[in-house]
Amino acid sequence: MNQLFEKGQKINSPVGLEYEILDFLGSGGQGEVYLVKSENKQYALKWYFFKQASQEQKIALEKLVEIGSPNNCFLWPIELVYSKDNQGFGYIMGLRDKKYKSINDLMKRKIEPTFYHLISACYNLVDSFYELHSKGLCYRDISFGNVFFDPKNGEVLICDNDNVTVNNSNGFISVLGTPSFMAPEIVRGEAFPNRNTDLYSLSVLLFYLLFISHPLEGKRESNIHCMDTRAMNRLYGEDPVFIYDPNNLSNRPEPGIHENAIIFWRIYPKYLKDLFIRAFTKGLNDPNNGRVREIEWRDGLILLRDSIIYCNNCDAENFGDITNINNEKKCWQCQNSLEYPTILQFSSSNFIFLNSKSNIFQHHLDHSFKFDKVIGTMNKHPSKNLWGIKNESSRNWTVQKSDNTQVKIEPNQTVSLKNDLKIDFGEIWGEIKSQL
Amino acid sequence: MTLPGGEISSRPLHFFWIVDCSGSMVGDKIQTVNNALDETIPEMIKIAGENAKAHLFVRALKFSSGAEWVVKDPTPVDQFKWIPLDADGVTDMGAAFELLSEELKMPPMPSRALPPVLVLISDGQPTDDYKCGLRSIFNEPWGKKAVRIAIAIGDADVDTLKEFIADPEIPVLEARNPQALTRFIKWVSTAVVEKSINPPSKLPGEKGHSGIQISNDPILEKSDPETKSSTEIDVW
Repeated sequence: MNQLFEKGQKINSPVGLEYEILDFLGSGGQGEVYLVKSENKQYALKWYFFKQASQEQKIALEKLVEIGSPNNCFLWPIELVYSKDNQGFGYIMGLRDKKYKSINDLMKRKIEPTFYHLISACYNLVDSFYELHSKGLCYRDISFGNVFFDPKNGEVLICDNDNVTVNNSNGFISVLGTPSFMAPEIVRGEAFPNRNTDLYSLSVLLFYLLFISHPLEGKRESNIHCMDTRAMNRLYGEDPVFIYDPNNLSNRPEPGIHENAIIFWRIYPKYLKDLFIRAFTKGLNDPNNGRVREIEWRDGLILLRDSIIYCNNCDAENFGDITNINNEKKCWQCQNSLEYPTILQFSSSNFIFLNSKSNIFQHHLDHSFKFDKVIGTMNKHPSKNLWGIKNESSRNWTVQKSDNTQVKIEPNQTVSLKNDLKIDFGEIWGEIKSQL
Repeated sequence: MTLPGGEISSRPLHFFWIVDCSGSMVGDKIQTVNNALDETIPEMIKIAGENAKAHLFVRALKFSSGAEWVVKDPTPVDQFKWIPLDADGVTDMGAAFELLSEELKMPPMPSRALPPVLVLISDGQPTDDYKCGLRSIFNEPWGKKAVRIAIAIGDADVDTLKEFIADPEIPVLEARNPQALTRFIKWVSTAVVEKSINPPSKLPGEKGHSGIQISNDPILEKSDPETKSSTEIDVW
């Protein structure tokens, strides 16, 4: 068996709390994880193998406990604990709910989120890393194994946070990361993990989620017979090339091997692809200035989610591309021509492609990134074949008709969609456009 | 399906158990090996589940008087079953190496894979021309690229096993008691597989290495205290 603890053993925290071992959950390279309970609540305990239980690790953990979790998407160290039965230390954290699935499950297609929830998950990950970096921290080891999401709603959970450190503190490194996620300068051994390398890993993670494929794995990858350390160092570090680099065709995805990249690249709008092109051309070799920032990903992902249009024939989610409207697009599932629906164009220049499931959030009005507040939904007329926008907020809207008369739309009232209708939401205007 | 496309592109990881079933393995040794190998299966399935870009295939080869395949076809790990082996005969390690080298040719090996993992478990001295078999393995590109590990049980010929590993940075794992044997087998089936899929990288300033580190592995830290301090050799 050789586990460090048995059921029933007790662990103590410096503040006097006692945790009881309930069950062994698993072990990794650094230590073992147990299910524990204290005062009728269950937690997870990670206990370090003695060799890993260094003073530096302890100090790093104490700092994380002190700083606290950036938001509620992290499974964060709550406190350090000690035991009279084993040398060294461990830490207590919350439990990962079973509703969260690993990225591996998406890669193996064991879960099938909608594009809407997949993009929400991407947004939530970006937002969480933004919060982490805002606290002066860096994650260092983004990989499949420590990022989880709920495919039913896009909520995310980021685990293994004991490797998080203060940015640019090179003194103590216990992990460098997973090769396919690591920034080229780290693969080449030229840099330690820091916020800029996190940005690179984040763009790899987003690419994996949205394309179920790796951004640097095309012909150059399939030409490699044995994918060993040397091959990985060349592919990801010494000579990395984006699979859709506009100026370098040498690494295009290979049909039959990198099918997902080919399929998904056809589906997404140009502005999203442009972000990835930048992330994996300029971003490959310019860590300080070339990488796509979290605030850019955030805006791009919200726009992507608001560009979802449903095929009139088979109902599959596709994407409208307002920057490329002359390109007639076909549904990826049934090949029918996509009909562009009505658009709500804001005076801020953002827009939403309106469909029966569209939501207008507080964010759309004030760029506040508040998505907990829905201020408008799509509502069908009870008797006529007519759709409108329902005022779910607590304030009046004003609508200007084409004859310049104004109509008040009170909370819970719905205004029907009519071309060129202008809606004053208070913070900004929106205009209905049924034709582009 | 709400999303287009399919599974992410992956590579096979071919894993080979090469087990000494000579007469000296009778009793405790072969039973420990049988139990330990059976117990590796759930752990390997778990690792395979956590690594979408690798498909783990397992095979097993036994040798005593001659050599033969126990499981010849690459078997997806979730379908792999361990059939307990008996022990009897001499130690024809060379014959095992020849059989192995046939499977490392292209075909049947694919042109695109992860480094294969070859794990040799032996308690004795080879009784045939093992060098010839070893040459056959190293003549194959996949044989050269494979991660080769050896577990020595009791008084095995460590020098032979070192020749099999052919990497000064990877020591022979010397199992002097059943607990250590079980631990080494478990470590090989988990950490080595994991490291073949996700090799560690070097720190700035560090020299490159083969990717499989053993000296830092916690498993060796958990050796029984008697083994570490005693000058006695455990004898089965």
